[in-house]
Amino acid sequence: MASLASDKRTAHLHWPLVFTTGLICGLGVWNLASASRGALHAVWQLQMMWMLVGVVAVGIFLLIDYRWLSTLAWPGYFLALGLITAVAFTGKKVLGARRWLQIGRFQAQPSELVKIALIVLLARFFARDEEGASKGDYGLKQLLRPFAIILVPVALVMKQPDLGTALVTFAIAMTMIFFAKVRLRSLAVLLVTGAATVTFAWMRLLKPYQKQRVYTFLNPEGDARGAGYHAMQSVIAVGSGQVSGKGWGEGTQNALAFLPEQHTDFIFSVWAEEHGFLGCAALIALYGFLILTALDVAANARDKFGAFLSIGVASLFFWHAFINIGMVTGILPVVGVPLPLFSSGGTSVVVDMVGVGILLNVSLRRFMF
Amino acid sequence: MLVRRDADDMREIRPRVYRGAAVVVCALVILLVRLYLLQISRGDEYAYQSINNYKKSLFVPADRGVIKDRRGAVLVDNRPSFDVFLTPAFCKGKEKTEVMGRLAQYLHLSPEDIERMQRDYDKAVFSKDKLERFKPHLVMLDIPRDYVDVIEAHRQDLSCVDLIPTPHRNYRPELASGLAHVLGYMSEVSQQELDDHPQAYRTGQTLGRRGLERRFEDDLRGEDGKENVVVDAKGRRLDEATNEMLIPQEERFVPASPGKNLILSIDARLQEAADKAFPGRAGAVVVMEANTGFILAMVSRPAFDPNKMSGRISRSELKEMFEDPLKPMLNRAMNENYHPGSTFKVMTSLAGLERGVIGDHSTISCGGHFSLGGHTWRCDKPAGHGPLEVRRALQVSCDVFYYRLGDMLGLDPIAAMARSFGYGQVTGFDLGTRENAGNIPDSDWVTKVYGFNGKGHAINASIGQGGVDVTPLQQAVAYAAIANGGYVYRPQVVRRIESADGRVVREFGPILAREGRVPAKPESLKVLREALTLVVNKPGGTGYRSRLPDLEFAGKTGTAQVVKLGAKQNNKTDTVKYWSRDHAWFAAFAPADKPEIAVVVLNEHGGWGAESAAPPASKIIRAWADLKAQDALAAEMKGFANQPSTSAQTIPAKAISAGN
Repeated sequence: MASLASDKRTAHLHWPLVFTTGLICGLGVWNLASASRGALHAVWQLQMMWMLVGVVAVGIFLLIDYRWLSTLAWPGYFLALGLITAVAFTGKKVLGARRWLQIGRFQAQPSELVKIALIVLLARFFARDEEGASKGDYGLKQLLRPFAIILVPVALVMKQPDLGTALVTFAIAMTMIFFAKVRLRSLAVLLVTGAATVTFAWMRLLKPYQKQRVYTFLNPEGDARGAGYHAMQSVIAVGSGQVSGKGWGEGTQNALAFLPEQHTDFIFSVWAEEHGFLGCAALIALYGFLILTALDVAANARDKFGAFLSIGVASLFFWHAFINIGMVTGILPVVGVPLPLFSSGGTSVVVDMVGVGILLNVSLRRFMF
Repeated sequence: MLVRRDADDMREIRPRVYRGAAVVVCALVILLVRLYLLQISRGDEYAYQSINNYKKSLFVPADRGVIKDRRGAVLVDNRPSFDVFLTPAFCKGKEKTEVMGRLAQYLHLSPEDIERMQRDYDKAVFSKDKLERFKPHLVMLDIPRDYVDVIEAHRQDLSCVDLIPTPHRNYRPELASGLAHVLGYMSEVSQQELDDHPQAYRTGQTLGRRGLERRFEDDLRGEDGKENVVVDAKGRRLDEATNEMLIPQEERFVPASPGKNLILSIDARLQEAADKAFPGRAGAVVVMEANTGFILAMVSRPAFDPNKMSGRISRSELKEMFEDPLKPMLNRAMNENYHPGSTFKVMTSLAGLERGVIGDHSTISCGGHFSLGGHTWRCDKPAGHGPLEVRRALQVSCDVFYYRLGDMLGLDPIAAMARSFGYGQVTGFDLGTRENAGNIPDSDWVTKVYGFNGKGHAINASIGQGGVDVTPLQQAVAYAAIANGGYVYRPQVVRRIESADGRVVREFGPILAREGRVPAKPESLKVLREALTLVVNKPGGTGYRSRLPDLEFAGKTGTAQVVKLGAKQNNKTDTVKYWSRDHAWFAAFAPADKPEIAVVVLNEHGGWGAESAAPPASKIIRAWADLKAQDALAAEMKGFANQPSTSAQTIPAKAISAGN
């Protein structure tokens, strides 16, 4: 029986998704090896280790039905909230922000965990919310609860301060809400409230350096050595890759440290510089395939919970990829958002792998009644 | 039941998912379009920018040409030295305070230097142009050798400090003070110049200022070479292997081509002798070849120290110099004018002879004074000289003779004669500065200045007072013309321009300032030469005490009255005394019978020409004669040594010239 189930699982496993993820991971490690040449520690080896941790986690996770996640939604959510609250008080301060939690030898970034916890909880909410569904669509009143769920962790992350993560978390949650049935009027109210919130945040909540980033985004070339320096150097790196790139390890913007944060936020610039437009198009195609596959899994999911989980994961990948690439190519302001499976960072890699695991689990179980 | 409802719900979700998929595709296409624009449409541009990021062009400064005297002795050359620079971008906050503290200690910076370093730092950091902080700014120029060792030893603690090897100009110290105005000095290009000529100059470059350094800047400068190196984002140079990988061979090193050398007509030995002989606080000496116009020696005192001006000089020192009432920056030989006093009597004499107002043996009587229209002019000898002919009038420098002659001539004939000798106009000596033309009054000028043409002006002009103003250089040119039979030469100081390897690039020959001779008969000029010889060599002559036993030379003393200063200008009596004392002149040529050089000494506020200007002129002529004899002997010995078959014990030529 167990072996039969195992065979079935193997047969129904979403192999294209596995291969795509594997390919992105492989390219990511290869690219990191170029980005971390000469660094004291080999970032790419650490990245591989975290990917293996992710693979093991996914393997174990596949053994159980994803619907178990529904029961874990609230405990997971509160655990995540607890962790970011802990970070706020005991976290390691790096560059003026408390984002890291020291656990033994390892450092974890709990704000990454918040994303997945929020996806699971929102999926549970929209899957089980009889009231909203029975009315046919969501009005403002019905949206109060999910908004409370979203805004508490987002506010805490913003407080760290980590504008990028807060923004992307909010974007993921909003995407999930839009996939639920929302009344047009509510949408309008939401937009107005959103605009008001942004204005308030601009005036009261944003730190000067965060405002500076926005100014810089609006006019990066006016200030080539100041705050716009990073954005400008990134654009130069990307543009100088031209059609086919300078070749692996040959990127001067990367090797000579003109690129800032070249193995985390600006990892795509390294890729673009060394592999050119062709390499970029290929990588974007891979992400596109990953996201569309996630949506396909959502469309073919056995239940609403699975569908919303998949939508959450799709938007997780989409927003990260879009904001990150948009930022390094100068069409979006510089906010610290990692590129899934490419940027170095243990927590983020594991969270992305878990996301893929959720997709595999959902797609696997649509055949199992 | 549960399954069914879910299936219904799924049916609702699906269209939204497809719409979502469309949004995703659109978003990704936007990214692709952006990448297309950056990498393909503008790829070349960014590729160029990325190269510019790491390619740093370093200038390989060209060796500036050296300046030599007529015999090849080096007057100005270059010596290796180090400048200390600080780049604000590379040390911030606490590090900055530490680095500045260390620099102040190691370099023994003055409070003024520390303040300037701090100010430059702040200016760069707070500048709107963010590139400003990446520009190294000068902390200390030309640091002493032992400071270099200290800085090198503490390299690790001085992260943002650079020690830049820069050749500095080296002016021969024993000549520097006297010849400073001719040679000029060097200083860093100013912000203004950089803004005006962004193509021609680069930051930190030094330019010739004043004198030959400026006039021949283009020849002396040479062409800087270039070295392209790879730097990382912090501006640090990378290893040779990286250089070879990223910079094409032909761009890696372009050698500098050295500047051209100037060979002057100055004789360093005579220059030194002239400088030593000159006794005054202020004044000038000009020694010129009478038959070519080439300058052998030129002193202007007080002078600046070109080594100091080209190196470290503090603001307070500069201020002190510019406020010095003696004006050390002023080249008194050509940029300031003075009444010539009695030295001008040669012009009045010549005008008289040429106009036939006097003959060379006709006499005019001196009774000790001369009156005209209620005004009385006195002679130096109150009892009067009695009847005088022109030679004797010049020899004893009788004023009344010239008052009378001037009155008979009128102003304009004197002016015309003086102008034909180059007075009242620039000599054309090309040091790149505006030369002082002096002034020769004629009736037009007098009418313009005083409103009417009184007869008294001719009386004043006849003895070189009133509106007559001349420069020492004009005097040298005019006396050379008297000596050489009437040719007015343009004074020059550069004989040749040579390439670094000694090829002659340009040679300068004598240039006549006016075509042909002056409008005076050779016999008239001969009368003057005889008279001037008497001045020095016959008892009773005003220069008799300065005669040389074995060398007859000719000359004329002059004592020029100075405009009295108002009381408020200076209160101290001894300074008033100095500033109101007469200027002492001596204008001469030697040897008297066959003149080769013209010598002019102006001793500002020196008093009597016979006392304060003739003796140094005599010493200079003595030195010139000695050097000439010495050179002739050396040439003879050299010829002797070069003869192949003379004796077994030949003396090496080099040893002789070194012994000189």
